[in-house]
Amino acid sequence: MKWTRALLGLPIAASAFALMVSGGAEAAGKIVTVVLSEEPDVIDPCEATRSNVGRIVKQNITETLTFIDPKTAKISPKLAIGWKQMNDLTWRISLRKGVKFHDGADFNAASAKKAIERTLNPKSDCEIRLKMFGNVKMSVKVVDDYTIDISTEKTQPILPTMLGTMTITGPNMQPLKGDRQPVGTGPYKFIKWVPGQEVLTARFDGYWGAQPEAVGARYIFRKESAVRAAMVKAGEADIAPNIALQDATDKKMDFGYFNSETTRLRIDTSRAPLDDIRVRKAMNYAIDRSALIGSIFSEDVVNMTNIVVPSIPGHNPALKVWPYDPAMAKKLLAEAKAAGVKVDTEIVMLGRLGIYPNATEAMEAMHAMLSEVGFNVKLKMVEVSQWVDIFTKPFAEDRGPVLQQGQHDNNNGDPVFSVFFKYACDGPQSTTCDKQVDDGIAKASATAAGPARSKAWQDVFARIHELAVDVQMFHMIGYSRVNPRLNFTPSISTNSEVHIAEVKFN
Amino acid sequence: MGTYLVRRAFHSFISLAGLLVLVFFLARLTGDPTNLYLPLDATLEARAEFTEKHGFNDPIYVQFGRYLVQLSQGDLGDSLMKARPSIDVVLEAFWVTLSLAAVVVPIALIGSVVVGALAAYRPGGAFDRIGTIAALLGASAPDFWVAITGIILFSLTLGWLPTSGYEGNIVYWIMPVTVLLIRPFGLLVQVARGSMLSVFSSAFVKTARAKGVKERSVIFVHALRNAMLPVITVAGDQAAGILNGAVIVETIFGWPGVGKLMIDSIFNRDFAVLQTSILVTAIAIFTVNIAIDVAYAFLDPRIRHN
Repeated sequence: MKWTRALLGLPIAASAFALMVSGGAEAAGKIVTVVLSEEPDVIDPCEATRSNVGRIVKQNITETLTFIDPKTAKISPKLAIGWKQMNDLTWRISLRKGVKFHDGADFNAASAKKAIERTLNPKSDCEIRLKMFGNVKMSVKVVDDYTIDISTEKTQPILPTMLGTMTITGPNMQPLKGDRQPVGTGPYKFIKWVPGQEVLTARFDGYWGAQPEAVGARYIFRKESAVRAAMVKAGEADIAPNIALQDATDKKMDFGYFNSETTRLRIDTSRAPLDDIRVRKAMNYAIDRSALIGSIFSEDVVNMTNIVVPSIPGHNPALKVWPYDPAMAKKLLAEAKAAGVKVDTEIVMLGRLGIYPNATEAMEAMHAMLSEVGFNVKLKMVEVSQWVDIFTKPFAEDRGPVLQQGQHDNNNGDPVFSVFFKYACDGPQSTTCDKQVDDGIAKASATAAGPARSKAWQDVFARIHELAVDVQMFHMIGYSRVNPRLNFTPSISTNSEVHIAEVKFN
Repeated sequence: MGTYLVRRAFHSFISLAGLLVLVFFLARLTGDPTNLYLPLDATLEARAEFTEKHGFNDPIYVQFGRYLVQLSQGDLGDSLMKARPSIDVVLEAFWVTLSLAAVVVPIALIGSVVVGALAAYRPGGAFDRIGTIAALLGASAPDFWVAITGIILFSLTLGWLPTSGYEGNIVYWIMPVTVLLIRPFGLLVQVARGSMLSVFSSAFVKTARAKGVKERSVIFVHALRNAMLPVITVAGDQAAGILNGAVIVETIFGWPGVGKLMIDSIFNRDFAVLQTSILVTAIAIFTVNIAIDVAYAFLDPRIRHN
């Protein structure tokens, strides 16, 4: 008899926690236990773009002004109920009435202004500011109790999309990042954080929207994917986002989905022989992608031709996957050599340990494929700090030709969050520079959301594809395990958010 | 004895100071934390601001001077990542590791001495053979494999134990303690057996037997006391290893101990946490070493008199 089962795991934790939320023992069964791979360093909502913070706070504790549907990238109202561009530089935002923060403060124009200014405070190093608003200078003006004007120095035609990342914190939170008790307007309020062990939230009775079914959530942390998967199987946890491919072995519990990550090898086009397009094309022809799928990568990954996933408006579906054609690769290399290109130069393939599952094996396989067609490549795997040093500007002047393993995540509803950084001449991680690409980025960035903007981005992606500035790889698949007692289907958003309010119980 | 302890403490203090200087400079050689702390998409200006604000662009001797001034004021610095005093972060984790060590080391020491002594009593006998094989297996079993296999067997298949977790209930301790115990236990059994075998062939044991002393007294009073010195030496080494962090066990079973904290602080370049972790664990290890010296003196009058 499994006599200990009654004494441990979920029942104990849930029962104790249930005393803190409404309903006592009866509520214990409606507490959702989420096991995450990493404990946050701080649970400050202005860090919600970090997945380990976002999965706890975003749309659970704190909400955003607008909501980006991760499946369709469409923008819908959340704490903002309407928005209108008043002129090139100003957007008017109408705010929802009757919303309270968890500490009883009113949500209104003043508190919205305070929350935005808190996140954008340069003294705070909030990741939302650094990642989403790094180049944006903006000011907020209260128009009336439930209306604000947001003005920017440059035109921001997709400001409502950008506001989908802006978490609205309570006005009584400490002004700088580092508050350990997040306060928001979401369906769950923060209860406590025991460092190293757990974070607890409970349903907020004063929530402005529909009351969710789950009475609370408990977040626990296990680094090992196998352990996280085992915890759900043993009934100790309900949701384990982001388990490894080799642990996703139970079709009843495991869900695979596009996780919005896209992998590639970045080609440094400023260094010979990688400055020659024949060499770059040869690299793409040399990779047997179908051999990698189902062996080193999941069988569900999809060949990438754009740095953004297909759900992002502006993704160009017309671009063709590079076929595996070693003969063409050899031919192009021979042509380049005949034209005086030093194709024998040693090229470093720089990989990052653990950047995605089987990252080292993937690099080893591609190293073999590139060597096979005649490239002189040398594989080097480094840890994250060394990798970032080389990946971001300022680049070392004396660097040689490098192919750098990369993975990029964008489920923020627009390519602008990817393309400038990766491909513009001034992009912080760009090793390419092309006037047509820069012009295209400028045009797309300035175009209002809609078909015209999508078309402008598609043109940019077509040019990037034509230049072959990446060895293109895959749109990746994430796996999550869900306890069968829940009716909850993980999706692309589970990579960065877990909406407890969507959980139903079977 | 008192003078000896003061002298040992002084030597430990010198070693500690040297260790801290070494850690300070070696940690900085691993690079600037800016790239790890800020998102990849942070602008160059934001990176420069961050580096300036935290003084990472100052010459290393300036940073070291600042650290010494802080240290002299009893300030070990704040965690860059966790935005909390590093000593709070480290002590929280250290007590977790200490509690593990406090359970594992006595069990390993007592258990291995009993098994080793009994195995040595009849060398080549059934108990000796089984004990030796088991000890060898224990000493060579990889922690990671044992832990994952334990979870599959006892949690998923039999349902007897929780997979992981750090909670008050004793069932949460069984697997982590067992996994952590296996290797030191196997090692100590072998040391105890070898040491006892050597002592059993000594003249004083033969004399005790010739005088008609009971076998139990021969083993556990006369022989064991003399065989304990190498066992305690190795046990101290194992205890230091656990205090330094039982990284595998902490990682797999979700125990928020100091080993995992140290590894994370190295990868994150969280210098204050790294330095404070090493300071706290080094003090603990020096204390264990002094305790071992004291134990030597109690067990062996020759050491005491010297």
